[in-house]
Amino acid sequence: MLDTSSLLAHSANLDLVIRHVLAGLGHGIHAGRERGAGVEFSEYRAYAPGDEWRRVDWKLLARADRYYVREAERDSHVAVWLWLDASASMAEPSLRIEGLDKHWFARTVLACVAAIAQRQGDAFGLVICCDGKTEFVPASRGPRQLQRVLAALMRAKPAGVLPEADGLRGAMQFLHAPAMVFAASDFLDWPSAQGDALLRLRRMRHDVRLLMLRTEAEAEGTIPTSAAYRDREPRRTTAEPVSTLVPDPKVDTGSAVARGLHRLTDADRPDYMRALAAHIDGVRAACVQSDVPLLEARIEQPLGEVLRSWLRTERAR
Amino acid sequence: MITSLQPWWWLALPVLLVPLWLHMRRRERHKAGLLATARFLPATTPQQQRTPRWQERLLLLLRLLLLLALIAWLAVTVMPWRGDTVLDTADVPSEFAAREQDAAGLHGAKTVQLSADPLQWLAAHQHEFRRDARILIVAHSLPMPALLPEFALPVTVRLLPGASKPAARTHRIVLASTPEREPQWRALIAAFAAAGGRFDIGSAPDAATELVIWDRGGTPPAEWKSALWWRTGAPPADAIAIEANGLHLAIADSAQGRVWYSPDWPATDARAAAAIYETWQQLAQPFVAYPMPPVSLAASAATRSGQQQRPSDWLAWSLLALFTLERITAHVRRR
Repeated sequence: MLDTSSLLAHSANLDLVIRHVLAGLGHGIHAGRERGAGVEFSEYRAYAPGDEWRRVDWKLLARADRYYVREAERDSHVAVWLWLDASASMAEPSLRIEGLDKHWFARTVLACVAAIAQRQGDAFGLVICCDGKTEFVPASRGPRQLQRVLAALMRAKPAGVLPEADGLRGAMQFLHAPAMVFAASDFLDWPSAQGDALLRLRRMRHDVRLLMLRTEAEAEGTIPTSAAYRDREPRRTTAEPVSTLVPDPKVDTGSAVARGLHRLTDADRPDYMRALAAHIDGVRAACVQSDVPLLEARIEQPLGEVLRSWLRTERAR
Repeated sequence: MITSLQPWWWLALPVLLVPLWLHMRRRERHKAGLLATARFLPATTPQQQRTPRWQERLLLLLRLLLLLALIAWLAVTVMPWRGDTVLDTADVPSEFAAREQDAAGLHGAKTVQLSADPLQWLAAHQHEFRRDARILIVAHSLPMPALLPEFALPVTVRLLPGASKPAARTHRIVLASTPEREPQWRALIAAFAAAGGRFDIGSAPDAATELVIWDRGGTPPAEWKSALWWRTGAPPADAIAIEANGLHLAIADSAQGRVWYSPDWPATDARAAAAIYETWQQLAQPFVAYPMPPVSLAASAATRSGQQQRPSDWLAWSLLALFTLERITAHVRRR
């Protein structure tokens, strides 16, 4: 029988996946500051698909024969920011479930968060770190914003490396308002400009929650042996300084290609596990020190469970 | 049609190892897989992942065949490079050769010194000559071939004047006969001399002796040896009896040489002497070829058209076909 995860991974319709995941999940990321319907009327707006039926003004429908939605002054002042790492390492696929990779998982879980935020009436925006650049969807509310965010998520393809500090500076313009930041990444690049930016947001009293994604093979060390591996983001190699990886015309391409090759034999496996554990411990320690909740998940896990755990991390804290 | 140097092209066969090596080597470059956590693995060098496996076998096969066909074509095909040429034998005086070369108008022609028969050499090497080349053969003397030779090129044959007549030979004969029969034998040998040649009669054979006539009782001394003996008396039982020119002969081989027995000698008249001489010349004397006269041979059209059909034509065509296939396959592989 097919796993639910593999069924979801082959679904092209992100909207459908969100509905499936969110069914029975309940509402709410955070407690709204002002409760009830006692919000001040602001204006009427034409109905758009995705609006809740209870917000449609039925009397106006009877008079004008058109659907109008009552817009009210917003009660929530919390903006939700979705942070997607779309660097090349996120293209790492699952060995067990075909068609599933880290990028798909991160994208879908962030889309679910966006859908929840839209249901709650929160403003939400999106930051995508891809190929050394930062793509930015400003925070806004409503179903159209959800479509915008989903479209941006669908467009994103894992490529290149994470942006440097300069590239991230433009995305930090939302710092003036209280925000929740949901960042999904593999955090293999640590310390990095992305990590520094997220920790800095936390120091500025934003609610930052990190989701560290790994594949089962990575976490358990069951990657196939007897093959040569090349890093998906060769610039990230710690064994050599970045400057030597810039193509040098004097160096013949054969040796340049040879550089950055790694092997995995059964004898190397314990060392690999130790090095990976040390790296993750480093990430964990930095998060604990900055009081940032970090959820470690494997992409083969059911998405709904991961999402629920991620939303609850703050309560556990 | 293989000249002496061409088979050395087969030594180029190790060139076939080059495509083999290239096709085995290309494997290592495309092998590395991508892994996000590769940075936590030990670094390595590409030599350690080299797995010698064949790939693109069709292309490899085509390239090997192409090289093989090229080497074979080089080994069996020759380009005509010789122009006007003087072929002379070593026994020709150089001033005579130079005079004949000037007379034929072949100034600046190359000279090829030959030790064997120039006509045979030319028949084996005429594909090396360009179509407009002229050939002059200068020799002391040449044996006349049975048929007029045909060459694809005009050939002039010039021979040393006066050398065409064969020199009179001296035949050494040992005569051992009874005193009463010896004058008859001497008369017979004198009759032989009328046909040409000189006859030297000795009493004991040496290395140059051609004939021993033993016409007395008893057996000849054991140390006497000769290619031919004439004896009288009864032939041994295993002798072969023949009749030639009206002469009855019994031929037997002994340790001292071949022996002819006949009841008919020595001859009593001129006709019998002529029959004995004729039989001796036919059966025991080496053949002397007619000397060839100086001739000028025009190029033969039949030989010329035959020369154009090289045996390696199909090889050149297959070379072209293989090259085309190799290019197509390489192009398809790249897409």
